[in-house]
Amino acid sequence: MKPVSSELAAGCRGGSVRYGPEAIRQPSPAEGRFSTAGFSIIEALACLVISALVMGALTYGMSGLYSQQTHPTVVYNGNVYTQAPSFDDFGQAISLHSAFSNAVDAADNVIVLGGTRSHPVFDPTGPSSALAENFIDTGLAAAAGGDGFKAFSSWDQRQINSGQFAPYLTTNPDPADFTILTVQGLSQITSITQQRRYSAAINGQNLEMYEVTHQTIDWSSGSPVLTTNAVTGTTPTYFYRFYYVATEDIWSMPPGVTHYWYRTDTSWDRDQEGPARVVFADPYSLSGQDSGSPLSPVSRFVYFLSQLR
Amino acid sequence: MASFAVLLFAMVSILILVANFRLNYAVSATSDAYDTFSSQMVEKNGIAQAVKESILAVGETAITNSTKSLQQEIQNRISSMALPAGVSVSIDSSTPVPTLPPNPFFPTGTPASGTQPGYFSPAGPIPALAGMGGLFTSLSVLGPVADLGTVTVAFDRTNSASPQDNQTYVVNATLLSVPLTNVDVVAYGLPITRSIPEGPPSVPPGFFGPDVSCLVTTSNNPANDPTAYPDLFASSGGEKLPYEYRNAVSYSWNAYEYLWSPTYQDALIGSAATASAIYNFSSPPDPSDPIPGVTPNGNSVTVDLSAVTGSILAIVDPTGIGSVTITGNSASGPPLVLLVRNTAGVPTPVTFTGNSNRPIIFYFVNANVQFGGDPQIEGALFLDPNTTASGNVTWFGHFSFYGPNSPLGTLGITMSDSPAVRNALAPLAPHVLLVSTTATR
Repeated sequence: MKPVSSELAAGCRGGSVRYGPEAIRQPSPAEGRFSTAGFSIIEALACLVISALVMGALTYGMSGLYSQQTHPTVVYNGNVYTQAPSFDDFGQAISLHSAFSNAVDAADNVIVLGGTRSHPVFDPTGPSSALAENFIDTGLAAAAGGDGFKAFSSWDQRQINSGQFAPYLTTNPDPADFTILTVQGLSQITSITQQRRYSAAINGQNLEMYEVTHQTIDWSSGSPVLTTNAVTGTTPTYFYRFYYVATEDIWSMPPGVTHYWYRTDTSWDRDQEGPARVVFADPYSLSGQDSGSPLSPVSRFVYFLSQLR
Repeated sequence: MASFAVLLFAMVSILILVANFRLNYAVSATSDAYDTFSSQMVEKNGIAQAVKESILAVGETAITNSTKSLQQEIQNRISSMALPAGVSVSIDSSTPVPTLPPNPFFPTGTPASGTQPGYFSPAGPIPALAGMGGLFTSLSVLGPVADLGTVTVAFDRTNSASPQDNQTYVVNATLLSVPLTNVDVVAYGLPITRSIPEGPPSVPPGFFGPDVSCLVTTSNNPANDPTAYPDLFASSGGEKLPYEYRNAVSYSWNAYEYLWSPTYQDALIGSAATASAIYNFSSPPDPSDPIPGVTPNGNSVTVDLSAVTGSILAIVDPTGIGSVTITGNSASGPPLVLLVRNTAGVPTPVTFTGNSNRPIIFYFVNANVQFGGDPQIEGALFLDPNTTASGNVTWFGHFSFYGPNSPLGTLGITMSDSPAVRNALAPLAPHVLLVSTTATR
């Protein structure tokens, strides 16, 4: 098919158009491809590298953020431990510490076993024994109706109830281990709170695993009833379990108990223990992750706990 | 394809960022809620403590009490509390603060009948003690105590920056009137008129018998008290005892300030005078109107405990010229208060010569007490700071002495716990106001 006259007039089909004797010179397609300003090969490669780096960094960053949503877990002693920081465990920790604070608030006496300086003469350095995790007694028979003057300290309570506690006292306790009993009327245990730290190598990594449990004992009916967990339907009432890589388990105030004393006076039977500093493990603190930081983290669950209230 | 990959990456990134933001926001919100919970826990307990201190300011068994109303005392303390910005606490105007019930005891009043309280069940009018704190219950379960009722004060807590945190705190104060004789042995201090025991008095072997309760409140400074540790002692500034010692201070310091004050001593003298049971060495009574059980012989009198009638006998030695011999009473009898008071001169010699099973409260002011023949005596032995004692005695009941001037170096005394004596002495003993406050929200 031949072009119509108008197409010819427009220069279609490769025809050149000239406008008078000084017509503008049009570069050939090949000429124009090589002379226009743009990326060189090196620039293009650099661009690719930079893009890859940026994408890689973003992916790494995103994966880091994503890892805050889903955490690695390990199983130890049949329980699942989540790597810190763990929001799920943090939520459980808040519930646990709210219940613990209420139990302490309503207690007549608080018995703190474990930690350092449980007695300034007989056990000044510790770590002292806690009660085994299967301790679930609801009463302190030996102290019922006793004289509060003779139970000014957790050490005294341990002595008074030695027959009851002895089978449960832990051997080779970790410095972070402790047991806290809240007691009403010298004999009714209203809660049992435990902290344990386990050290183990799992999947080629040395891990420090923290387990915190709180068992509420409801006496409102006149008899002790162990309150179960709202989700699991089993005891303990509250718990959280998480772990750090061992090199990250560094704290400015290490988890565990430090006992402080006003006096020990054998003549007047005054074993007067002051408030104990109780540091619970915090599942949402990053512990010693930043080894270059001049400051080590502090748990938000720190108590200065008077034994006699 | 590349554009699609970038788009997909961007979408995933946004999802992760949003999820992370929500997570961090949740952590922040949860932390804030927990901080608020913890803060209010401290706040309500601080207010409960302010109420307790206000009650004690008005009604403590002490040498001085506030003349302000309980509401004014509470208001003053609450207004001086340091609260977070935007937070204010005030007494709920719809629930007026009640007046403090009186704490009557001998000789100016009759104490409410005492009951042995229980931890988990009410004992008569006294509510179950469990939950009121071991420091309170340890002093309340040693014998019969009288119930003075409950004071309830409500507080409105508002937070202008966070109205959802507004709260009503309700403080319930349980008031018990505890006989001073419920604790078997007290080495007391007088922080206002004299001093406190810096360290615990030395105790001879055998001093404390089985189940004997004891109380001494000493300095927490290890430099003063060798039994104290520096763990929690702040060496700067004046020594401040931790609040755990509050009830012990009420019992072993402040109550004794009142006990040896002219107010209480004069009240005892006045009661004896009213009963015509006062013997004054400087102005002896008419021999034709003898005091039952009191036999004068010059500047000496012999008190036959079996023959004394009434509930009080006072022997006064204003110039230090007299001496007293107390003969025992093997049979039990009604409780009695026997006051020997020397206000000047040589301490009045007082000699016990025999056993006594009558529950008697002995007050000795500036006396020189001697026990002959190792008698066994039931009752309460109160020695003032100037009184000395010697000899040997087995005592069933209560014994209190001035901690900084212990008589135990010269007095061989064996203390025995006796619930029967404690119960018998309660109606005539000085009573200490003990307060437990619990706050709810």
